[in-house]
Amino acid sequence: MIEVHPWHFDGRNATRWKPVLKGDIGGFRLIGEGWESGPWHWSDLVAMDAPEGQRLYGHRHEHGWRLGFAEDIPAELDSLLPRRPRYGGIIDRIGLLRASVLLASGAALLIFVGVKAPGWLAPYIPQSWEDNMGDAMVGNFGGRYCHTQAGDLAVKALVQKVDPERRARSIEVANVDMVNAVALPGRRIILFRGLVEKANSPDEVAGILGHELGHVRHRDTLTAMMRQMGLSVILGGLSGDMANQLNGVMAMSYSREAEHEADLAALDTMKVANISPAATADFFRRMDVKDAKRNSGKDVHSAAEISDIAEWMSSHPSSESRYSLFTKSVRRGHSYSPSIGEADWRALQNMCAQDRKAASGWNSALAK
Amino acid sequence: MSDSRGAAAADFELTVEVCVDARPLPGFHSTRTRTYLWSRTRFIDERLEWTGTGKELFFGFLMVLLLLGLPFLFLQFGVQALALRGFGGLAAALGVAAALMIYLMVGIARFRALRYRLSRTFWHGIRGGSDDSGLRYGFSYIYKNIIGIIPFWLLVPWAMVSLWNERWNKMSFGPHPFLSSARAGPLIKRFLLFYLAPFLIALMGNMFVYSNFPPMFAVIAMIVIVMGVYVLLALIALIYYAAFLREGVNGLTFSTLEFKFDARTDDWLKLFFGDVVLVILTLGLGSIFLQYRHWKFFITHMEAFGEIDLETLTQSPTKVSKHGEGLLDALDVGAF
Repeated sequence: MIEVHPWHFDGRNATRWKPVLKGDIGGFRLIGEGWESGPWHWSDLVAMDAPEGQRLYGHRHEHGWRLGFAEDIPAELDSLLPRRPRYGGIIDRIGLLRASVLLASGAALLIFVGVKAPGWLAPYIPQSWEDNMGDAMVGNFGGRYCHTQAGDLAVKALVQKVDPERRARSIEVANVDMVNAVALPGRRIILFRGLVEKANSPDEVAGILGHELGHVRHRDTLTAMMRQMGLSVILGGLSGDMANQLNGVMAMSYSREAEHEADLAALDTMKVANISPAATADFFRRMDVKDAKRNSGKDVHSAAEISDIAEWMSSHPSSESRYSLFTKSVRRGHSYSPSIGEADWRALQNMCAQDRKAASGWNSALAK
Repeated sequence: MSDSRGAAAADFELTVEVCVDARPLPGFHSTRTRTYLWSRTRFIDERLEWTGTGKELFFGFLMVLLLLGLPFLFLQFGVQALALRGFGGLAAALGVAAALMIYLMVGIARFRALRYRLSRTFWHGIRGGSDDSGLRYGFSYIYKNIIGIIPFWLLVPWAMVSLWNERWNKMSFGPHPFLSSARAGPLIKRFLLFYLAPFLIALMGNMFVYSNFPPMFAVIAMIVIVMGVYVLLALIALIYYAAFLREGVNGLTFSTLEFKFDARTDDWLKLFFGDVVLVILTLGLGSIFLQYRHWKFFITHMEAFGEIDLETLTQSPTKVSKHGEGLLDALDVGAF
């Protein structure tokens, strides 16, 4: 028989009662002055956070019901009272170490799925959705497309050669002074004026275009967009720059794979069109010289190191490795044909200079 | 046997046991932190008790994803897409609708956060709460803030005070409602300080333009001016907010209890600079104590007067919602 003097809130009003608790293994009753409650079951008690030197229990089904004891309670009673949870339900049940391992692997799995899922899902998104989204996002690119009669014919000729199956819905030259080209959602490819004007031959442009067509074929743009948005949703729950950087690095590492695939696709395209990869290789070599010039004043070894680091960090494979990939693909003694004729090439190079109506410039958002 | 069956002692003061006891903070999770803070806060003769759970907060978080994620995604991508396609008018209309939707959610979130906190706070085994969903408050939040802004922001104090009253007047603890009758009048003088700011900024700018500083000095002067503007605005905001919170709490009554909050601007400044020093000197590690500091600040400046009959302080009949204040957490609007 247990008999102790706890304090008690009944959850009905705010009075602090001092009843006598009488009970045994089966349960207990609370007996106050002129009132009595029970029977209560030990198994319905829930241990709660209590100040030093006290024990506090709630009831599973009675809101606000509390039973408090001083620390020195009979051992008989102590054995009947539930333990205070240390970390929380599940962790206490399976142990802290096991719970940590479980949660860590769960998190790793979640991140893995987060990284991979866009690639898995992208092929199942209807092309028409992507096209509509791309049209909505890109529109007429702020009126920056260059058009001249001869230039349009030159673009047409180039497309006929490199993309006879019309995988891209639109291929345009934009009045933006950057040596670059982009594949945008909705199967749109934009060649920037800087690239076209600074290229030494149409075959260079054809190689770059083949690369962007590779992105279009693999739906890389959609994949990248889905991952950026999807990951921000998952990592958005964390705060601070870590999440952002992680997000960025993961996006990069993914697109390096995609970039390589796109290069292979470009080589494939050029093979079918009988265009020599040599000019494109030369373009990458020149890009590399630029890097070297930028790094001038440092010794060759550290410049090479920088290039290695750049390869890891940059979203493009280093120009050096692309140069060797394209050089190796040149077939010795094979007779290649130029991608477009001399007149077309001149028209293509001059079209932005001649089209006065095209809007110009772009903020740095696209400059990568 | 029972004690305090009748009226409890007069003149109640909230005190926090300032010494952090031997155990460290039981975790940085907000539920654990709150359990810790509440259990070390004594109101009259008895500790407060926090009974909220992490699961509830998680549900709240999921609700945010659903309710705020959609309008936000639309604002982020849809409006731009429509505008680029040439549907400028439609884009603007839908954009405004999405923004209003988010605004409505912020209002509801503020209401529900208070409701949630009261419904999970127990004292003497009794909790608080509200049966109101907060929807009406959400609409009030929109229109009162808009009205407040229209006459050159002059009615902003009115909007804030009126929303404070509206929120608290829907809350109860046990069987008794809170009554809030804060007034905007006493805040106007401090609020007018905001209108001084542009003149001071213009004055500083003039000094800069009409003086022939050497270039190096001019750059420094420019930086000082820009920093000065920020500090000035923050200071005015603090001066105003100190008065707002005093007026808000002092206008609050609960059954036979009256409340008083006596933190003045210099107290707030001390709190703020204490925070800054704490965080900087510990290289950021000290930020884990900020929540404790803020709670302690709030409690030490809070007083309650009057008598409360414990026997008639019966259990709250209000509904207990299943989700926590995730909505508020997501929007990062303050507690009070």
